[in-house]
Amino acid sequence: MKRYLSLFLAAIMLLGLVSFSAAAEGQDLLVIDVYDDAANYNGTQTGWFAKVIKDRFNIELNIIASQVVGNTVYATRSEEGNLGDIILVDKAKFPEIVEAGLAKDISDKLPECKNIMQFKTQIDVYNKGLTGVEGKYYGIPTEMTDTAPDTLTDDVIYSSPMLRWDLYKAIGSPKLETLDDLLNALVKIHEIHPQNDDGDPAYPFTLWADWDGNDNMIGIANVVQLTTWYGEKLKGSAMLKPDYTFSPLYERENAYYKITKFLNKAYQLGLVDPDSGTQPWDTVASKLSTGRADVMWYSWQTGFWNSVDRLNAGTGFIFIPVGDQYYYADADRYYGSDRMFGIGAGVEGEKYDRIMAFLDWYASPEGATFQHDGIEGLNYIVGENGKFVPYKDNALMDNLPVPEEYGGGGFSDGNNAINQWIVSSICINPVTGERFAQKYWQSYKDMTMTEMKKEWQEMFGAEDSVAWMKQNGKLLASPSVDFTPAADNNDIIALRSDVNKCLCEYTWNLIMTCETDEDFEALWDEMVAQMDGFGYKELYEYDCGVWQPEIDAKKAAAL
Amino acid sequence: MRMNPKKAQAIREFLYILPFLILVALMSYYPLYGWVYAFHDYMPPKPISSETYVGLKWFQFIVSNPVRAADVWRVLVNTFAMSGISLAFSWFPMIFAVFLNEIRCKPYQKFVQTVTTLPNFISWVLVYSVAFNVLSSTGAVNSVLTSLGLIDKPIAFLNSKEHIWFKMWLWLTWKNAGWAAIMYLAAISAIDEQMIEAAKVDGATRMQIILRITIPCILPTYFVIVMLNIANFLSNGMEQYYVFQNNFNRKTIEVLDLYVYNIATSGRGNYPLSTAISMLKSVVSVALLFITNTVSRLVRGEGFV
Repeated sequence: MKRYLSLFLAAIMLLGLVSFSAAAEGQDLLVIDVYDDAANYNGTQTGWFAKVIKDRFNIELNIIASQVVGNTVYATRSEEGNLGDIILVDKAKFPEIVEAGLAKDISDKLPECKNIMQFKTQIDVYNKGLTGVEGKYYGIPTEMTDTAPDTLTDDVIYSSPMLRWDLYKAIGSPKLETLDDLLNALVKIHEIHPQNDDGDPAYPFTLWADWDGNDNMIGIANVVQLTTWYGEKLKGSAMLKPDYTFSPLYERENAYYKITKFLNKAYQLGLVDPDSGTQPWDTVASKLSTGRADVMWYSWQTGFWNSVDRLNAGTGFIFIPVGDQYYYADADRYYGSDRMFGIGAGVEGEKYDRIMAFLDWYASPEGATFQHDGIEGLNYIVGENGKFVPYKDNALMDNLPVPEEYGGGGFSDGNNAINQWIVSSICINPVTGERFAQKYWQSYKDMTMTEMKKEWQEMFGAEDSVAWMKQNGKLLASPSVDFTPAADNNDIIALRSDVNKCLCEYTWNLIMTCETDEDFEALWDEMVAQMDGFGYKELYEYDCGVWQPEIDAKKAAAL
Repeated sequence: MRMNPKKAQAIREFLYILPFLILVALMSYYPLYGWVYAFHDYMPPKPISSETYVGLKWFQFIVSNPVRAADVWRVLVNTFAMSGISLAFSWFPMIFAVFLNEIRCKPYQKFVQTVTTLPNFISWVLVYSVAFNVLSSTGAVNSVLTSLGLIDKPIAFLNSKEHIWFKMWLWLTWKNAGWAAIMYLAAISAIDEQMIEAAKVDGATRMQIILRITIPCILPTYFVIVMLNIANFLSNGMEQYYVFQNNFNRKTIEVLDLYVYNIATSGRGNYPLSTAISMLKSVVSVALLFITNTVSRLVRGEGFV
């Protein structure tokens, strides 16, 4: 056994040498520092994606992940005057980076990058919005789409109530009109499904606390997300109502109150995982993939459970409409998501050329295929008509070994650690003529045209969940506009932090400790008083001012 | 011209101590430069400059509003309470050492000592993971209680703010008592055997020997350790509270160090405010040191510094 192992290792080394000499061709190995607000991994990129880049550019990526090492790295590196060679930051930070001279003017090279420049419209709009640098290119938006600002391509919106189809059918597929109906249904589901197959306790709701206050939105991330079920969207600390007016978050007629109360009722009925509020997202992810949660509310959460096999068996999660809800959804992010790519100010000469070549490849069909679809022969195969067919769709979930020509190792371990893309997954892949994302492939649709899907279509009389919402007038699709909120100054940071901490603490206690409605109402009043004491009103006025231009642009786009 | 030998010796001796002076300057005085951030409206990526100077703004900010001032006060109360509890129970490791010393069966004594010392070498993160596995809603304790039918709903040990100060002291003691006892064991072994022999000849019981000989002999050690603890009164460490904090107990668990950390790292982080509060801590520490010194001078007739 040992002998085979050593032979095997020797073979890998030889292969490595061969590929290395093929790539080297006169260019030295270049290590690029990537300052990355999106990454969940800090250090040198390893595995198959590292090999893909090395073979093509002889480049190694050193990822500096602020989410891993703490946001103080942003302060220390900018004090040194060098954030990184490639900079990937939250959109709100980008103008100040340009102002502080940490980002490079890439007007000379960017127009030559033909793959990136397929998004010229969006790149122009963004860079024109940067003050003080007229007519120049500094930033490249991320995850831009090739659709239109007011199109909604998804067949499932970002957040909607999703239940397990088999459990929903087992309790008699009740028609849900209100959140109370949903609670009654969940009580029954909890009765027939108190444990997963391994005997571990399962709950309808399992919440997590480590995303609270993220993205500058105050409050519990889970509650904030669920407010979109009633057409509301939190902008900083101000609740945007469906009629495009702002209202203070803690008003009792707003969805934050409604959802908090709903979750507290669920808690009183024993439907909330007692670890909610102390467990991190990672723990929740493992609970989702082992069947210990009966409700999902982010469209991507289904990726932790809905495999093709489970869809065929009818045990997948699927949207179940609640009659009185009115769903808020952002239209395609035509102008890109909330982060920006830039190049470090100190990058010059050959290094600059090679970095731009790499970024252009990153936005090429080949690069986007690696990012969105993985490896041919592992994640997908090419069918006879040249279109992709899903192959091992659990490669990421189960960290399957990758083929030898990609250097071995687990697929998930070697996945692209930059964790952000220039080309959105809903763009059309010119090679296949289909979108990059697997769920839009005809082959995938055929594979998942299961009994479950057919039953669902029959019961609700619609093609998919977005179609149902449109048919029933339950969808508020908010058009995409190019907008960068002003960065908070230190006073606002302190204010937001105090108010957020106060709100989160009270909300968790409201959900997880109130045993009666009287307790709940009393604690809610106490919370409002405390938040006002910290200066919530001031923060609210500030946020209304910051976000009003975006709302105006959305109104104009909707006309 | 030859150097006067006394002067040469002075220079040589100064050179001996120079490395330590450099070390202190680098590690203790140079970081004080960071205090300058408390007087600026510093916001990365812009470096501080004369334009960002705001004077005492951030110190005023702390007391600018009654709710926020109450918040800082709450944190101070937590800090004093938890430090106070561990100070009030600081005799515990000493008594533990005395009793440990009385164990006649040597292998058993060694065993107890090893088992109680080991937790000192475990990081707080691991201590928390032990706590989580034992006390979480699906942890060992809740599983046993549920299967015995004693409870029908898991008890939220880690999510409650009840008795959190005392619980934190228990964890701290579990982790540190064995280690702290080592110092006392050393002091006990230094006690003159003849005294104990003489006491035995005079018919003293074991309890009498402990009360009249062992404890008085190790009291000086105890006082030194108490004094060191007082100097660290405000810096009661944040790791322990950091790992145990959650949305249900934060109000009562947040100590100064943790508060400073939370301000600097939540969201975009407010570095000036965080620095200002940590400076407050130094001011209070110096005040405490002077008070202790005065008390010591009054009680013992001599001060520490």
